Amino acid sequence: MDSRDPFRHNVLTSGHRACSGCGEAMAARMVTDIIGPDAIYINATGCLQVFTTHNQQSSWQAPWIHSVFANAAAVASGVEAALRARGDDTPVIVQAGDGGTFDIGLQCLSGMIERGHDVLFVCYDNEAYMNTGVQRSSSTPHAVRTTTSPPGRLSEGKHHLKKDMISIIAAHQMPYAATATVAYFPDLKAKVEKAMSIKGPRFLQVLSPCPLGWDHDAAQTIQVSRLAVETGLFPLLELEHGAVTGVMHLPQQRPVEDYFRLQGRFKHLFGSKGGIAEIRHLQALADARIQRYGLLDTTTDWNTDTASQVQRHGRGGYSLDRQEDSQ
Amino acid sequence: MSRLAFEPGSSVAYHSGDWRNQRPVFHNKWPPCGQTCPSSEDIQAWLALASDNQWEAAWRKLTERNPLPAVMGRICYHPCELGCNRKELDSAVNIHGMERYLGDLALQQGWRHRPINEQQHTQQVAVVGAGPAGLSCAYQLAMRGYPVTIFDNQSAAGGTLYSGIPDYRLAKNVLAQEIDAILALGIQLHLNIKIGVQRSAKSLQEEFGAIFLAVGAQRPRTYQGNDQSNHSVLTGVDFLRRINHGEPITLPHAVVVIGGGNTAIDAARCARRLGADVTVVCPQDPHGTQHGHSGAEEMPASFEEVLQAEAEGVHLRYRLGVRRLVRSGQHLSGLEIARIDQIHDRQGHFKPLLFEGTEEFLPAGLVIFASGQEVDWSGLESLVETHESGVMVGGDAAGKLRFAATAVGSGYQAAMSIIAYLTGIPPVYEQHEKAEVTYKDLNLPYYSPLVRHEGTVAADQSHGFNEIKTGLNDVAAKDEAARCLSCGVCFQCDNCWHFCPDAAVIKRNTDYEIDYDYCKGCGICAQECPCGHIDMEPVF
Repeated sequence: MDSRDPFRHNVLTSGHRACSGCGEAMAARMVTDIIGPDAIYINATGCLQVFTTHNQQSSWQAPWIHSVFANAAAVASGVEAALRARGDDTPVIVQAGDGGTFDIGLQCLSGMIERGHDVLFVCYDNEAYMNTGVQRSSSTPHAVRTTTSPPGRLSEGKHHLKKDMISIIAAHQMPYAATATVAYFPDLKAKVEKAMSIKGPRFLQVLSPCPLGWDHDAAQTIQVSRLAVETGLFPLLELEHGAVTGVMHLPQQRPVEDYFRLQGRFKHLFGSKGGIAEIRHLQALADARIQRYGLLDTTTDWNTDTASQVQRHGRGGYSLDRQEDSQ
Repeated sequence: MSRLAFEPGSSVAYHSGDWRNQRPVFHNKWPPCGQTCPSSEDIQAWLALASDNQWEAAWRKLTERNPLPAVMGRICYHPCELGCNRKELDSAVNIHGMERYLGDLALQQGWRHRPINEQQHTQQVAVVGAGPAGLSCAYQLAMRGYPVTIFDNQSAAGGTLYSGIPDYRLAKNVLAQEIDAILALGIQLHLNIKIGVQRSAKSLQEEFGAIFLAVGAQRPRTYQGNDQSNHSVLTGVDFLRRINHGEPITLPHAVVVIGGGNTAIDAARCARRLGADVTVVCPQDPHGTQHGHSGAEEMPASFEEVLQAEAEGVHLRYRLGVRRLVRSGQHLSGLEIARIDQIHDRQGHFKPLLFEGTEEFLPAGLVIFASGQEVDWSGLESLVETHESGVMVGGDAAGKLRFAATAVGSGYQAAMSIIAYLTGIPPVYEQHEKAEVTYKDLNLPYYSPLVRHEGTVAADQSHGFNEIKTGLNDVAAKDEAARCLSCGVCFQCDNCWHFCPDAAVIKRNTDYEIDYDYCKGCGICAQECPCGHIDMEPVF
């Protein structure tokens, strides 16, 4: 076991092969460290599985299995049922990318939720098939450049819209579903902890910027993640039994161009007539989401400003069970 | 073993650090408050201690450079706050209020200065002048075990702090208590001794291993006109000295003060408190006009003081000079003023040129000249002119920037130079050799906007000489300390630790460490550091 850091478990530890600045590695480390090593992690095929288990080396310091691409939720259902039969309440966590959630994994996920398995399903949403070379997925936003939706004379990137996954999940009338992203650690932590306190199927969609696929500077992962929220393109929501019970408000709305300018995958939209029209379309999509979820209403002080604020001597970290155990 | 044929195991065997082409480095930087502080206080450091409720440690950190915090917190013109990066977010940290709070707290709690080490030296040092520079130098030397004797020609210690600053800005008992705390380090103080009169400069040189001359700039620049009569004419320095020594003064109805510096404003406000109708004739332009006409020059007095003076009913007239005093026999009936063309001549000497045809008559029963002071070297000529080694000059006597905080800073430097001279070891200035942090290096969205706390200013300003401004209370002081952005200095917010995708930032009890075995050099930690503490360095 690697125990270099006295203040967290590092369930996903160093030496993994994720690209420099990987948002998914960051998100997975945050989520798994909040949950801790006493859980069973089931990983669908995808970037996370590939870069953490390379050449017989594992970055996982917790029980971890790799399922095939489509069936992570089904494997988790079986693990959970077996634990339940033994009277064991070890938490079961699924980790999957947007491919293993939105596309090939959707059927198993839907079944797992419908059967009411006590599993937390975490989707690290990087909006394309990054592992295999940036092909479009049903999570890829409209007008984005990927290797299978190249912009050109006949196209301004992906034709179709991003699948509204959280609404599909919420339509299952399940106990808890939420969206989060890496930029707001206190928000992510609150959502993971809330999910872990609830029994039954739970779902968390964590937007995880990909410097390679989104074509942004490796150092800008957090800014990109923050701008996705601040523009209204990726609302941070909590849904309980289908109803929206919490949103992170925006003190002010940022124009979508601010988000696009940092990323090469939107670069083609600037400068062409069709591209400008697509930007207007994406702005309208952001506006609609802001209106739908009331992101600009200020019913609480919980907004993107307060969630960013740092404090002297830390703003909250991970529980230190391991340290207490060893003493 | 080849990299592609590992035993099954943990990925920590694979050092992803060799991917990087740049690496993050933690650098403590020098925040602009400390950079602009004339006493070179490490303001960020003592604010950090204060916000952690370590009040005594904060006071000790502050007094490393400035042994007069209660005094300076009241009277310093606080350039630190002009430098404070927080003004880009909401408003500057109330640094002078915090300094005053810590100084007052130390007096209230009776905290004593503790010498830096047990060392006792035998070489005696003489300090001429018990003003801020002299006190600061004596304090630094005494803290390091040198026996120090201070000589001063006034009847009380403090120099200009005593004789030049009116009670409504600085209560005499605050000054006396802070001086007592300094003297308690074992410093000898001989008052009412003017070198050259009661003691010769030569005897000083024979007795002491080193001498620090901090005699201040006490000799007022006199009126250069034809009128040589002293009747109904005073200098600002003398006027303030008499008031501060408690001499009773009766003023005529109309008083005119000539000058645009703090002495002029102090004199005007004192005269106003004594019931006179006061007009300040200022050769310079008002605040905020430095980009007006060519040759514009802003008045040197503190803006805050000017505003308070105006609120108290002092009239201010700008860019005017005195042509002549108008008398009926000995009796002063007023003065003739005119618009100023230029204030200084080409050599930079104060030599106002007036525009012909712009004269006007200003009635006055007393005129107070406060247009600058000069150094009075009488009695010390032999020390100054021979450039004797072991003789240092500091404070107002040495510099052009004649502020109390500059004098305190100069006292520290003189002490370091004297130690270097006495020991033969080159001076060790504890200077930060660090980059400055501008607000552009900061990540302002990570900080919450917080309201600045102010001390209250008394409403009945034109009555009496009681202190008009009160300090911060305990709650306000704690909140104010927490407003510091900690520019360039880590305050353990955990951002780098949370955001590292490679778990290559390791949290320790009081800081962080970068594990370069795994850091891929993405730069997220440097980008997301709120205070600009992390730099990326190229790796070749």
